[in-house]
Amino acid sequence: MKIKHLIYFRRISQVLFLLLFLFLLMETRLPQNVFLDYSQEIAGPKDIRLNYPVMFFFDMDPLILLTTVLSTHKWLAGAGWALAIIGLTLFLGRFFCSFVCPFGTLHHAIGAIHPAAKGRHAAALNEKTPAQRLKYGLLLMVLVSALFGLNLAGFMDPIALLFRSLSVSILPAVNIGVKEVFDAMATSDIKILNLISYAAEIIVSPVLGFGYPAYQTGFAIGLIVLALLFLNRVRPRFWCRVLCPMGALFGLLSFKSLLNLEKDETRCTGCNKCTAACQGAASPRPGVKWEPVECVRCFNCQHICPEDALSFRFFRRKALKYAPDMGRRAVLTGLTAGIAFPLLSRLDGHIHQASDPRLIRPPGSLTETRFLERCQRCGLCMKACPTNVISPALGEAGLAGIWTPVLNMTTGYCEYSCTLCSSVCPTGAIQPITGKEKISGPIRIGSAFVDRGRCLPWTENGACIVCEEVCPTSPKAVVFREADVAGFGAERLRLKQPYVNLRQCVGCGICENKCPVKGTPAIRVIASGESRSPKNQILLIS
Amino acid sequence: MNTNSLIIDRRQFIRLAGGAVLYSIVSSPFPGIAAETGGGFIAEASCSKPPCDVKALTRKLFESAGGMSRFISKGDVVVIKPNISWARAPELGATTHPDVLETVILLCQEAGAKKVRIADNTIHEARNCFAVTGVDQVAKKTGADLVYPLSNLMRDMNLQGHRLNVWPVFTPFKEADKIINLPVAKVHSLSGLTLGMKSWIGAVGGRRNALHQDIHQSIVDLAQFFRPTITLIDAIRIMTANGPSGGSASDVAVVNRLILSDDPVAADARACDLFQVQPSAIAHIQLAQKWGLGTTDFSRLTRYQVVL
Repeated sequence: MKIKHLIYFRRISQVLFLLLFLFLLMETRLPQNVFLDYSQEIAGPKDIRLNYPVMFFFDMDPLILLTTVLSTHKWLAGAGWALAIIGLTLFLGRFFCSFVCPFGTLHHAIGAIHPAAKGRHAAALNEKTPAQRLKYGLLLMVLVSALFGLNLAGFMDPIALLFRSLSVSILPAVNIGVKEVFDAMATSDIKILNLISYAAEIIVSPVLGFGYPAYQTGFAIGLIVLALLFLNRVRPRFWCRVLCPMGALFGLLSFKSLLNLEKDETRCTGCNKCTAACQGAASPRPGVKWEPVECVRCFNCQHICPEDALSFRFFRRKALKYAPDMGRRAVLTGLTAGIAFPLLSRLDGHIHQASDPRLIRPPGSLTETRFLERCQRCGLCMKACPTNVISPALGEAGLAGIWTPVLNMTTGYCEYSCTLCSSVCPTGAIQPITGKEKISGPIRIGSAFVDRGRCLPWTENGACIVCEEVCPTSPKAVVFREADVAGFGAERLRLKQPYVNLRQCVGCGICENKCPVKGTPAIRVIASGESRSPKNQILLIS
Repeated sequence: MNTNSLIIDRRQFIRLAGGAVLYSIVSSPFPGIAAETGGGFIAEASCSKPPCDVKALTRKLFESAGGMSRFISKGDVVVIKPNISWARAPELGATTHPDVLETVILLCQEAGAKKVRIADNTIHEARNCFAVTGVDQVAKKTGADLVYPLSNLMRDMNLQGHRLNVWPVFTPFKEADKIINLPVAKVHSLSGLTLGMKSWIGAVGGRRNALHQDIHQSIVDLAQFFRPTITLIDAIRIMTANGPSGGSASDVAVVNRLILSDDPVAADARACDLFQVQPSAIAHIQLAQKWGLGTTDFSRLTRYQVVL
């Protein structure tokens, strides 16, 4: 095959991988067509699992693999894919950026649909700049920080970033917009609008989600990804060239790659079309030194060259004088930041002193130190959660834990037998657990406490006991005792007042979620008593 | 001043009264068999010894009561209201037995129902409930529509109750020709028992957790708004402790009984017997009788009994 046609192959690959990414993102939900077969003799409670390997893109992400290995000194399951990508990169260079990466594809598409500049100006924007060293600094920061026990990769890993942005920000925002329209149509007096709204909602809801979603900091996450996409107006593929730590990693890995650009200076007429089309700002035009670690192997230059002066071929670069231009300053800054962040982040006392009572992690989560070594803040657990209880943290986990998953019992509750989140975690920050383990353990994520100053029966305002009704454990953790109280009317009231039996409570939060006192409910869950932390226990014997 | 218009003579009065009676018959919001004046029936089925063929038992029960075609006509849109509030496996007794549900759907289809829908506004997240309780499997198997309780299917309606007025109602119940209430029998800490009438809490949306503040009146208000054609209480497994969510096999007793009636109060009253409770001890059953929604006096009903 003439290597020249690779550009078409690249486009097909980009589209397919982007579609696969979106498909897996969509399928990261409670499956719509899966049910437990009740007619079978059920030996124990079975678990609902996703239909597709939604962790696929995370499995082949070498940055996630590398940082997790550095921070935990253990291998990751599914590391084979990432190792294969690393192996291919050693030969082919940064092909991942142009053939696979869905975030790269988005940037590429924006540049193709609406270029930042054309002709001569485009070529000027595609000249290599010193700013491109920044990504090596960021990569070093992420790697060093992982070595010191804080995994920052997820903030900037393109797979995690894109997944998080789409799943907890962009798609939920679209969902809210669409649902508001449907709800407006449903309450219309025009019958046909009602019917259209029902039909549309039935089609759209399985994809976007049922109900109105809520994600803490979703606003900021959305703004950031939109800003990153907007930067394509400043410089094409700004993210890939300047910021992406995975691009930097691939760049370093392609230091001795075999698929290289051969320039034929005798044929070049100096039209500079190659530079205008260059995605990586890798100096493709003959006469200047090509930058193999910046090149994303998009094959635009050889495709566009009217004189066939450029061609990609497999050969060993002879002039091995070439060293990646990382810049001493970028390296030093990255190293310093990588050491500083993990240590500074411990200053809030979350790990060594007392953790935030609101820091309720999904069931199966590791202890906080181990958790921060692994969590990529990718949002898979948040997207998979059927009750919308998992949200990206803001302050609950300290600065080090921003966007890590935390349970917010006012937007959802942890379904007693559900273990979906644990089944999708790509790095095992949430360990895979079964429903049986969760229930029989029991795996506690916190403890509920009644706020007697708010509770209706305790304040003598009337009967309620919703918390006891919805408590899922057997025997119930929320119990009641009857009391004769004065009340505020003429008659005395006999009311059932709730108490929490901490030995039964698993912290699922359904009591808090269903409590009629909204905002700050009259029964609330705090992280104390969570199974994952030996330090954070309440009772001597639970 | 014209005073004539205020004076009604005897002939006019008779005409008006007749019209009012006629009007009340024609305009009954939920057509079906009203049991307010007696003349209703109550049918019971039980298995004499385990294992119990639940599907056969359900069929036998309907046969004894004159067949499903007595209640469902050709071309009806039937909405079945099971209790699938909790994402619990069927054997935990927190939800309606899927075999009973399946048989009722099949009977409706055999009776010529145009469409059979299953609707319940669940407490746990609905998709989870559908998947775990077996109702999704039943829907797939029988081709019945399983209606997801979307927020846009909740429509504000005036319940005209004593306690509840404007409240969001799950629209499938409004758009049904016939409604079958298919609850499971459970204990409940606040209302005493969760039976048929209590189950209508699953037919509304909105601030349901506030209903507990006057639970018995709320149940009766809902029961006078939702008038099912028949109530079939699933007592194959009953929850005797830790209700209404249960969670353990030890909370469940297998009694293999079914209670069918066109009188919602009578059905609930009969089911009290399963828990060795007097109907008079359950405030909402008493209240419903007082409000004329049905009777707890079984002697006023035709009784059928089947033992398999």
